[in-house]
Amino acid sequence: MKELKILYLYPDILELYGDFGNIQILKYRLEKRGIKANIIRYSIGDEAPDFKDYDLVFAGGGADQEQSILAEDLIKYKDNIKEAVDSGVFFLLICGAYQLFGKYYKGVEGNVIPGLDVFPYYTEAINDRKKRCIGNIVIDVNLNGKETKVIGFGNHGGQTYDVDTPFGKVLYGNGNKFGDDNEGFFLKNVIATYLHGPLLSKNPELTDFIIKYSLDRKYNEDTVLEPLDDTFENLCRKQLLNRFLTETKNNP
Amino acid sequence: MRNFFIILIMKILNVILKICGKHGGNFLGKVAYKWNPKIFKYFKVNCPVIAVTATNGKTMTNNAIGYVFKTAGKKVVSNTEGNNMETGILSTILKNCTLTGKIKADYLVFEVDEGYVPVVFKDFPLDTLVVLDFFRDQLDRNGEVESLILKINEFLKTYSNNLVLNADDPNVARLGKANPDNKNVYYFSVDKYDFATTEQKEAGEGKFCPFCKTRLEYEYYQYSHIGKFKCPNCGYGDNPIYKLGTEVDLKNRTFKVDGVTYKIRFNSIYNIYNLTAVIACVSLYNMDTDVIKEALSKFVLNNGRLEEVKVRGVPTIINLAKNPTGSNVSLRILNEDDEEKELLFVLNDNIADGFDVSWIWDINFDNLNNVSRIVTSGTRAYDIAIRIKTSGYDANKIEPYLDLHEAVENLYKTDVKKYVIANYTALQPTRKELKL
Repeated sequence: MKELKILYLYPDILELYGDFGNIQILKYRLEKRGIKANIIRYSIGDEAPDFKDYDLVFAGGGADQEQSILAEDLIKYKDNIKEAVDSGVFFLLICGAYQLFGKYYKGVEGNVIPGLDVFPYYTEAINDRKKRCIGNIVIDVNLNGKETKVIGFGNHGGQTYDVDTPFGKVLYGNGNKFGDDNEGFFLKNVIATYLHGPLLSKNPELTDFIIKYSLDRKYNEDTVLEPLDDTFENLCRKQLLNRFLTETKNNP
Repeated sequence: MRNFFIILIMKILNVILKICGKHGGNFLGKVAYKWNPKIFKYFKVNCPVIAVTATNGKTMTNNAIGYVFKTAGKKVVSNTEGNNMETGILSTILKNCTLTGKIKADYLVFEVDEGYVPVVFKDFPLDTLVVLDFFRDQLDRNGEVESLILKINEFLKTYSNNLVLNADDPNVARLGKANPDNKNVYYFSVDKYDFATTEQKEAGEGKFCPFCKTRLEYEYYQYSHIGKFKCPNCGYGDNPIYKLGTEVDLKNRTFKVDGVTYKIRFNSIYNIYNLTAVIACVSLYNMDTDVIKEALSKFVLNNGRLEEVKVRGVPTIINLAKNPTGSNVSLRILNEDDEEKELLFVLNDNIADGFDVSWIWDINFDNLNNVSRIVTSGTRAYDIAIRIKTSGYDANKIEPYLDLHEAVENLYKTDVKKYVIANYTALQPTRKELKL
């Protein structure tokens, strides 16, 4: 039986916006195809993981206060994480985790939380604590030459700068900054984004892209994924794309 | 003089509203507050003022406290309809005061939105504050729960009247230390119940000690993060208990406090907590045990808060659930019931609900007990269908309908017992569709 080894980072801390759903969806789509989802959870106090041992690493977003507690812990693995990224392990990073993998995060009071510095972007909070990029988001994404629309929900105060390789073009809602055309950060084996929802819940094509990449890399083959019944997902996408993209046209 | 005229005009407006058959909600308060934001100072109160705040359970606890006092023959003024922001509370006061601002009552009992406690009671006396729980709730509207707690904590630093706190919620119990000189802090708790777990079953807050940031240790969880906790580093969590709910029997709907058995109309651990808070609160006013017993044996809510009715002859239980814990509490009741049942989940994403529906992924849909079919509806009918499917529930037994009428018609094609969960703006349209 094939399996993917998934490292789920700080499940008890980075769990505020339902991002745990991404793990459930990955597991669901793997198991439906007879592939084992071997999910290993890591949090503060657990034995140190070797990131290179995994096929996929996932981390979500959390409460501001708790995020600074774990930043100190994560930074211990900086070099190991860099090696894993370079060796092609897939990283899916949402919101707070997206920020932590950059150079730094500068808070409202000017306090700087150093990031892992794995990627070249950095994030700074807006001075006004009440101003946050909140709302539904639709972005245009190119997955290995295939254009698809990705639907999610953003809720972040930090504005992320210096992203050269964004995840997608914003069609509706906010991007890396207020009114930004670009959303997220994208490499062949890294998706870092502000999209909750959870991200994978309404984007089965994206989920399968991540699964296929991880299987291809692990088994050194060109995996053909068995199609699944995505009736609900397709109905949901149709409804929401119609709603959000028509709204944009009406309220440019 | 100015306040006199504001009240006079509001009284006239209230009469006009009544003639037009309108209830008014928080309209009067909105107008009056805009006119004079310091109007709260003007009222003359000669009776105890009690306030209840929490993420979940405000309406129920508030109304039950008022009901106990009424059962004792007291005159109670209360915002029983759930208008719980400063304008809603002001509306209630305006309707019940004289032109000179006197409020004639034996007790004022208010449910107050978590964010508005400092706003309302900055200029208004407060005799007892009851705090039940804090959960994540509509993050895109309210922000993180921590900022709300900090606001209330700040207010409590200079407050020294009665404070009734849930000892089993680390984010509530911490408020007892806001003013170390306050001798009037009363903690309530409930003994471990049959479905308590050693692992946390549902999403919750308060993983770390609010005082020293050490990870909290739990002996058990009752639901969400409510349970017996302790900080292994600084010892936080060991508070003296004023009222303890014991021998919780959800099947027979009874529990005990101080050896007295209370027969109640509710069957969830969450309500046992609320009612223990009620007993703690009214005990501070020397209410007779027999009065409390009588009141609690009759008290029900008919507004979609665990409302038990028959629809088209079919037993139906309806509950409002606007956040993960509200939904998880409903599903606990459903799972503790072995009978065959069908579930309707109505999920909207209107402004009052919050646009973000990702909180449905914090609902624990695992291993639903004897649920033969699930119908979903609301503006996010497909989102909730995807959520339930991913939890492992058979997709062939899930029927999503964007149209609520269609959903209800299909739900009642069978006469199997129904559980209905609806979020904020979905609740009243759903009740209407059920002809309630």
